[in-house]
Amino acid sequence: MITLYIALPLAVVLLLNLSPRRTANALSLWCGLVLTVFAGAYTLAMPHVPGLADAFDPANRVLQWKIEAGNLAGVMFLSIALVVFSAFWVGRYLIADSNRRFIFNNLLLLCMTGMNGIVLSNDLFTLYVFLEVVAASSFILIALERTNAGLEGAFKYVLLSAVATVLVLSSMALIFVLVGSLDYGTVKAVLTSGQLDAATSRFVTFAIGLFVVGLFIKGGMVPFHGWLPDAYSSAPTASSVLLGGIVTKAAGVFTLIQLAQNVFGWDKPSPVLLAVGTLSIAVGAFAALGQRNFKRMLAYSSISQIGYIIIGLGAANEVAVVGAILHLFNHSTFKTLLFVNSAAVEKQAGTVDMDKLGGLANKMPVTGFTSVLAMLSTAGVPPLSGFWSKLLIVLGVWLSGAHAVAVTAILLSVVTLAYFLSMQRRVFFGRLAPGLEGVKEAGGWLLVPEIVLAVITLGLGLTMPWFFNTFLVPLRSLWSL
Amino acid sequence: MNECLLFCLVAVPLFGSLLLPLLGKAGDQARNIFALVLMLCSLGISCFLLPVIAGDQVLTVSVGGVTLFYADKLAIFMALCSQTLGTIIILYSFGYIAHYEHRNEYYFMVVLFLAAMMGLIFSSNLLWIYFFWEITAICCWRLIGFFREREYVLRADKAFFITIFGALMMLGGFLMVYGQTGTFDLLEIKAYLGRHPGEVIDNTAILFILFGILSKSATLPLHTWLPDAGVAPSPVTALLHAAVLVKIGVYVFARLFVATFTVDGIWWEVVPWIAAASALVSACAALVENDIKRIVAYSTVSQLAFILLGLAVHNEVSVLGGLLYILMHGIAKAGLFLCAGVVEHETHNKDIRRMGGLVKTMPVTAVSFGLCAFSVMGLPPFGGFFSKYMVVNGALESGQVAIGLTFVAGAFLTLAYLLRVYVRVFFGASRAADDGHGAPKEGSPIMVFSVALLAALSLLSGVVIGPSFQFAQEAVRQMMGR
Repeated sequence: MITLYIALPLAVVLLLNLSPRRTANALSLWCGLVLTVFAGAYTLAMPHVPGLADAFDPANRVLQWKIEAGNLAGVMFLSIALVVFSAFWVGRYLIADSNRRFIFNNLLLLCMTGMNGIVLSNDLFTLYVFLEVVAASSFILIALERTNAGLEGAFKYVLLSAVATVLVLSSMALIFVLVGSLDYGTVKAVLTSGQLDAATSRFVTFAIGLFVVGLFIKGGMVPFHGWLPDAYSSAPTASSVLLGGIVTKAAGVFTLIQLAQNVFGWDKPSPVLLAVGTLSIAVGAFAALGQRNFKRMLAYSSISQIGYIIIGLGAANEVAVVGAILHLFNHSTFKTLLFVNSAAVEKQAGTVDMDKLGGLANKMPVTGFTSVLAMLSTAGVPPLSGFWSKLLIVLGVWLSGAHAVAVTAILLSVVTLAYFLSMQRRVFFGRLAPGLEGVKEAGGWLLVPEIVLAVITLGLGLTMPWFFNTFLVPLRSLWSL
Repeated sequence: MNECLLFCLVAVPLFGSLLLPLLGKAGDQARNIFALVLMLCSLGISCFLLPVIAGDQVLTVSVGGVTLFYADKLAIFMALCSQTLGTIIILYSFGYIAHYEHRNEYYFMVVLFLAAMMGLIFSSNLLWIYFFWEITAICCWRLIGFFREREYVLRADKAFFITIFGALMMLGGFLMVYGQTGTFDLLEIKAYLGRHPGEVIDNTAILFILFGILSKSATLPLHTWLPDAGVAPSPVTALLHAAVLVKIGVYVFARLFVATFTVDGIWWEVVPWIAAASALVSACAALVENDIKRIVAYSTVSQLAFILLGLAVHNEVSVLGGLLYILMHGIAKAGLFLCAGVVEHETHNKDIRRMGGLVKTMPVTAVSFGLCAFSVMGLPPFGGFFSKYMVVNGALESGQVAIGLTFVAGAFLTLAYLLRVYVRVFFGASRAADDGHGAPKEGSPIMVFSVALLAALSLLSGVVIGPSFQFAQEAVRQMMGR
């Protein structure tokens, strides 16, 4: 019943908006929480045989468009449920106005519908529709508070997203002209048949290029990253949790991984992806070094981490791609955790300007400790889960023969560590800054996601060698290597 | 059964440390005792395993199909050295740390550090070595920044940054080794090299791994974090770094380069020269420094070069000397650091130009400092003499006369700077400015007891050299496959 991933959140949104407003206000949060927990549990219980769940699915019998969920989809469902779950708690904690919170909760559910749809779609046009669902709800989430900065950030995102839309749509039109179908399997069969003449191949390369650039914009990869720091830092922190944690990953990166394998049929190391990935890692990391706004630093850090996923994909071998997918999941845990930390700091200390903060670990022990775990995981330091995914990526890149990229990626981890150490020094470690004597630990609404995410990061890091067989090996089926 | 014990040796302190902050909420006493129990438990298991691994027996532990730990004589030797010192450190902390903030974090980090050290020592796999290596780095970062002053936190960041940079280089090296041999497992790498006689590990990989080792062992040119780390925090943490942490690097050198890999012969000539440069430069630095703890820290850098030399010269005598050096230096340097801590604690001063004549008011500390210093200098019959003699002798035996002579010069410099400190601090007239703290007096009983214990051990380890010598010799035979 994989249709549920789309149908259930949508149904909840409809029901909430049809019921009386006061009941809906009170219920929206709990409905959302139950739904995300259910989605996570359902994914974990799903059988690990690709295709088995799909054939009997009602949607595939009734509707025109088909959906499909492999093991990679399972990883995405988990990440999406986890981040949306955290965003609900943060929204409850940060957004005081109950009407606005209701809107926020609804948008979260819509965004979740869109992301699940992206994961499930099995033809390009369905993919496009769900991409737009995600983008539309993201615009409103960024501008939710109607501040000038928020509107500006949302506007930038709208503009660049429109460009991406145009690129993706034109690419689809070209592919449709050529193949006569937008179904993943059919397109792949034609593109990889090896019977295209030279002119058509150039045509195909052009179409694929347009599509990939569109996805680069959606994913915020360098040099198309201009909108991302503004959008993340001007959005209300509750929305940043969702955007930074999963949205760009689902819309840009996951789609790219999916298409690279299922549509474009890339099976050789791709210099373009390796170059863009390395550039993203470097630019994101060095830009993060210079930030004094906590949230902006996290935004640049996201750009940098996505670069790791992209080089993993670019190496196109089993180890690297499994690492990239694992990094996608890890990124959604540790980056969400860091955004939740920033929410706590913003609310309790009243600012996210790192020059005005200091020594908060004394006052906020849980937030301080979990932020250390999250930052070390981002920097790829054991014993945290980020270490294993980076290790697999770098190992895979090395084995694919791109030695320079592997060594650069390792060394740029040092820069990641450098900006996070500076963040720790200015926000949590060190002496208490003047004026913060009265700061207290964040309330329970925030401690829950903090602790849940920290436990996942640490637990997965400690037990990863035992997961290689239960969690990672099934991913191999996807890559038929 | 024995496998289970070996697993507990690492797992008990590792997971026990997580409980310490929670226990701290219940009460200081409970937490302190529990920390000590964890260490003693680990130490007890090591002692119990001693007879088990006698002969050619080795132990491997795997859980759920993943090989985790591997114990041979080298590992047990190293584990016993660090556990003994770790236990003394925890004992000393009871008194020293009692009136500072963040005690829960302190005990958590110290025990986690020692547990990770055990994990690293018994790792059967390059990845696990890296895994535990980084955990120790995280603990050090928190411990150096323990007092939370901006200056200390900056130093903590510096130490963390340099060691992680080295570690990442080392990880790169490990990946290259994997690319070459197709495995991370130490025993399988050794078997692979055995099947391909004449093949050596790629030189680039060796260079990268060496980077990590030098950064962790604070060897030139990556030594600068250690003097800073030695000055900033309490002597307890300084001691942890100087006596235990830096040994990680040389241990990994022994484990990989001597016991597992076959490497190009050129490294047995290059590494001694790196060590020689490190020994001389840091000894000269120690000679001109005036801060007592910086001097002791530079002395650590210098002495580590001797250990590295012993292991890098690669003959049986010198490797044996290197292993004994790890033990002797650990004990004696711990004594020196704790004495420096007592002196600083009582005089509120670290500048040796403003000290003098302390032997009258602090006789036990003065004598202990002397005994430990003699051991570091390498005077007979102290433990330090035997190890230093064997290291230099090994270098000469392998025909590297120039190296041997350089290290003899380094030994003279050691003599000079330690005597300088000793005379300046404890003899002559008092030069202390009257700063309102009153006349310095002897430290608290537990502190004085600890320094006296370490001084006695320094002497004893030389007089009764037999058992440790014999065990180290067996370990070397096993390592070098003779």
